[in-house]
Formats: sequence, structure tokens, C-alpha cells
Amino acid sequence: MSARNVEDKVAVNIKHVSLPMSRVKLIMKSSPDVSNINQEALFLTTKATELFVQHLALSSYKSGSGKDHNALSYSDLAGAAEESETFQFLTDILPKKILAKDYLKSLEELPEEGDN
Amino acid sequence: MASSSANDDDLTIPRAAINKMIKETLPNVRVANDARELVVNCCTEFIHLISSEANEICNKSEKKTISPEHVINALESLGFGSYITEVKDVLQECKTVAMKRRKASSRLENLGIPEEELLRQQQELFAKARQQQAELAQQEWLQMQQAAQQAQLAAASASAAQQAGSSQDEDEEDDM
Repeated sequence: MSARNVEDKVAVNIKHVSLPMSRVKLIMKSSPDVSNINQEALFLTTKATELFVQHLALSSYKSGSGKDHNALSYSDLAGAAEESETFQFLTDILPKKILAKDYLKSLEELPEEGDN
Repeated sequence: MASSSANDDDLTIPRAAINKMIKETLPNVRVANDARELVVNCCTEFIHLISSEANEICNKSEKKTISPEHVINALESLGFGSYITEVKDVLQECKTVAMKRRKASSRLENLGIPEEELLRQQQELFAKARQQQAELAQQEWLQMQQAAQQAQLAAASASAAQQAGSSQDEDEEDDM
């Protein structure tokens, strides 16, 4: 990689992109079947991810049901995931936290195997 | 942040980068630690989502490499179409900046000197170098000459001495 290309990439990172593109690339490649990614495509994905973080944070904050308006909590985020169609894909990784006792109770209510 | 297990599933965006972005987006807002951790994981999930979709689009297009077009189409089909304009704008901006920088640095290399002048300077340097070489060659030749002369002189005096020695011998013989 010539010195100029490195310079260009560093400038891109400093001025326009906060997330490390190398890490984004690693994550992309850990997806099954993903082959090669063009450098510009990688840049677009990185930038889109940044926008996503901003979007998610803002959305959650605005629709936050917490009493404290100057705070963003886990449940604010979980709420945003459930309410917005766009963020639906996140529901797998952010189950709404429930109290342990409620969970245990719901286990008791499940039909037991072997009962006729 | 060292991790003992290099598990693909553990790959995430560095926490510090996320924290910085959250701070810039929501200044003066307290964000719980578990919420931050969640955002980090959401990022990874988002990247996987986009990559998979873009990859599918890429496969259908029978191309081997995921291109910007594939990513843009993926964003559109997944409901993130609103990101597209800004993402494209930034890409264009970067290309322009990169182009300007390349032009500027090549201009710097020339120091603003036109090509003709550079050629003239080059010819001058070559001529100078040739001259220096010629002078060196001449010096060497002279040295060789001197060395050869000295060698001749030495040989001549040696043979002269020898001759003088042999005539002396003859005299001695006569005396006897």
C-alpha cells in the first residue's frame, strides 16, 4: 500500500468516519458466506453503522419512558426495538429484562412433559 | 483490549468508539453501562444484517465482490433508505478530498518548476558528472605513468649496479 493510500485512509477515518473500518471488515467477514468486499462498499457500511448508532440512540431517547429525562437506559433501547419496524431485527439480542421471580413463575406454568 | 479467545462471535466495535458517538449524539445525557454494552452489540448485529443482505444481492448479480451498489440496495430493502443520501455524500466528499490531496502532493514534488527547466537541470548535472569522471580518469592515468617511470628508473639503476659489480670482478682476476 503506497504512502499516499495510507494517508487517504487515515484522513477518511479522522475526518469522516469514527468507527474503525478494519474492525467492521472483520465483523462482516465473520458472517457466513460473505465473500469479498470492495473498499468503497466497506466505507459505506461503516458510515451506515455510524448513522445507525446515532439513529438508535436518538430514537430510544425520544421515546424513552423513563422518569429521568436526562438518561438513556437499557429498557429505552429495548422499547425502541419493539416499537420500530426498522429496529425489529434487534429483538433477538435484547430481550426485555424480567425479574428472576417472574421467570421462575412462568416456568412453573409451562405444561410438564410426560403428563397425559 | 486483549482477549484470550479469538472467537468470531466476540468481534465487536471498540467500546470507546461507541461511547464517543453516543456522547456526541446525546450530550449531557447519562447512559447506563448496560445500555452502552447493548449499543455495542446492536452495532455488530446491524453489520451482520447489512452484510448478509448485501451478500445475497451480490450473489444474485453474479459478481464476486460486494460493491457499493449492493450495500445501498441492502440499506434500501432493510428499511434504512434514509441513510443512503448522507452515506453517498460523505463518500463523494472523501473522493474529492483524496483527489485534491494527490494533485497537491504531485505539484509539490515538482516544486512548481516547469518540465523544460527540470530537463535543463538534469542535463547540467549529467555534464558535471561526466567532467568529474574525466578528471578522475586523467588523475589515475598520471599516477600510473609516474609509477611506471619509477619502476623503469629502479630497474635501470639496478642493472647499472650489476654491471659495475661484474667489471670489478674482472679487475680482481687480472691482479691475481
